[in-house]
Amino acid sequence: MTKTKRTHPLGLLDHLAKSVKNWWPLFLIIIAQSQSWWGKLLIPAAILIFIIWPLISWWSISYRVTPTALEFHSGILVRHHEHIPYVRIQTVQRKQWFYLAPFHLEEVSVETASHEQGKPEVRLAAVKPEVAALIERYRQAVNAAPTDSTTAASTESVAIPTIQATYTLSTRTKWQFVLTSTGFIPILLVALGVYGKLPHNLIERLGSDLAHLSGLFLIIGGLAIALIAWLFTVVMLLIRYFHFRAIRTGDKIQVAKGLFQRNTITVPLQRIQAVRFKQNIFRQWLAIQTTQLLLASRAAAEDNNDDLVLLPAVTLQQSYADLRPFVDWAPTTSPDVSALNVTNGRRWLLVRNALLIALVPVAIATWLWPTWNALFDLVLIIAFGQGLFAANNTGGGIVNRHLLVLRTGHWWTRETYLVPLAKIQSVRLRQSIWMKRTHLMHLTVNVRHGNRNQAIALRYLTAEQAESIYNWYLTNAI
Amino acid sequence: MPQTQHPLPNRIKLIWGISASGSLLVLLVVTGLFWLAQTYWDWAAWLTVTMLVIAVGEPIIETALIPYRYRFTRYMIADTAVEMQAGFIFKKRVAIPIARVQNVTLNAGPLLQWQKLSKITVSTASTTHTIDGLELTTAEQLRDQIMQLAREARHDQN
Repeated sequence: MTKTKRTHPLGLLDHLAKSVKNWWPLFLIIIAQSQSWWGKLLIPAAILIFIIWPLISWWSISYRVTPTALEFHSGILVRHHEHIPYVRIQTVQRKQWFYLAPFHLEEVSVETASHEQGKPEVRLAAVKPEVAALIERYRQAVNAAPTDSTTAASTESVAIPTIQATYTLSTRTKWQFVLTSTGFIPILLVALGVYGKLPHNLIERLGSDLAHLSGLFLIIGGLAIALIAWLFTVVMLLIRYFHFRAIRTGDKIQVAKGLFQRNTITVPLQRIQAVRFKQNIFRQWLAIQTTQLLLASRAAAEDNNDDLVLLPAVTLQQSYADLRPFVDWAPTTSPDVSALNVTNGRRWLLVRNALLIALVPVAIATWLWPTWNALFDLVLIIAFGQGLFAANNTGGGIVNRHLLVLRTGHWWTRETYLVPLAKIQSVRLRQSIWMKRTHLMHLTVNVRHGNRNQAIALRYLTAEQAESIYNWYLTNAI
Repeated sequence: MPQTQHPLPNRIKLIWGISASGSLLVLLVVTGLFWLAQTYWDWAAWLTVTMLVIAVGEPIIETALIPYRYRFTRYMIADTAVEMQAGFIFKKRVAIPIARVQNVTLNAGPLLQWQKLSKITVSTASTTHTIDGLELTTAEQLRDQIMQLAREARHDQN
């Protein structure tokens, strides 16, 4: 496939969809102004935007898969020529919308670690699956050949990579996973925000109406909205994680999922920046957690803030045993996280900070709406609990010379990071003058995550604890 | 740490001083605009007064803090890592292994050029760290050292 090719004509649909997404108000204007002369004038513009432009932009995209690099040409007025050597590829993502399945076509996105914001370097809207397979084969060959001899030998001897590990969701874990999502909370907050945007007099009228209603009615109403939001996220997750499957072949991990759009992400093992175990409050009750891979590309952006979910729901005991077949450098059992901690008197400091942050908005709100006083006091109680939660969940330690484990608690979510030394970009210590007297320090470990930095911050450690990590990093990182 | 901590070059204090007077100038111009708005469009007088207080106060504080800022800013360059340290009330210390450095940028405005200094920005795959001013020779030496290391150990890891 060394000839320059265009994508399949069905890729046109993708360009058309993009035009419609960006310009749909034009339709409304044309319909509304169909009588006036300038409304008619817009019709040629619409033809240009919705027919001619997608045609040209489809026609302008071409690609070539050569043994040394992937070439991608795009652009109408300004031509872009992208050359990507296979060693630079971070992730290859394949998405197949259901309407492309009968034609055996899929969308292929290729990403490098470049800081280019927002979009993948290469995006082919509709191509045959052979394209992704070929890219994958070339990449494997390039990665195996020059670097270290051990992987080269193993890939040569095994012509067809065998599947080394597989993970699928059982019905039980799938339901545990979708039912315990906290995805509905942002939806609720948006609903609350919409309430806040309502005209002032309406709220006042509503307020006086509400005063007549019993509090019970209000609570039921709130719960009903929460329930709808929750059901919505459950359905969304069921669609998104439909037929979830993670497999490891050779030195790469492939995660596939999705109903209407089958989404397959392939990532080489050495590109994993860190492993994160994430456990929201509901999952803490069930003692299950989600295992995610932090990547240096935005392939998994639609998932969950750029994290590639590897094992959606695993029990705490099983986490490390299930992870190990996928990630060689992960420990086999849960590592000791007691070396870094926030205990005794130091817990108060985190509680105090959480309270201080909550205090100002609460004070203002109480002053503005004195009748809702009780509700705002609840916020303070939540803040108190959050501080305590953060303190109790701070943990970490050096697993071995090449691996660090860190645990944090934010917003009732417990996160445990496994960070290889080679992937830590920098380590920062912070100490205020008051903390100097009490021998305390904040520790921040920086890792690449998506196109940005993930700062893993452990606050109010003892100076010895924080410095031990800092010195470990400084002496071992070469 | 075994390697010695270096303070920034002494001349950086002069640069900071000049940049403080620069902000005084800019803020005074803004205050002047407020005063004009007050006389011609009847803007509230307290706006102008507040602005004047800020215009005078901010550069004074900035200038007063220069010795403090200078004294507690340190950098260390070893064979394998760069360390930076700043601040006394809020002390920060950061370690960047040279193997993680993606690129080094030397950057000098007219003031720094005049004093033969250069601002140096060290970027990793995810974070960016800046030393406000180094001797041009030191900065170039650091850049070459990092380039050298990058050539030796080609980590295609990120």
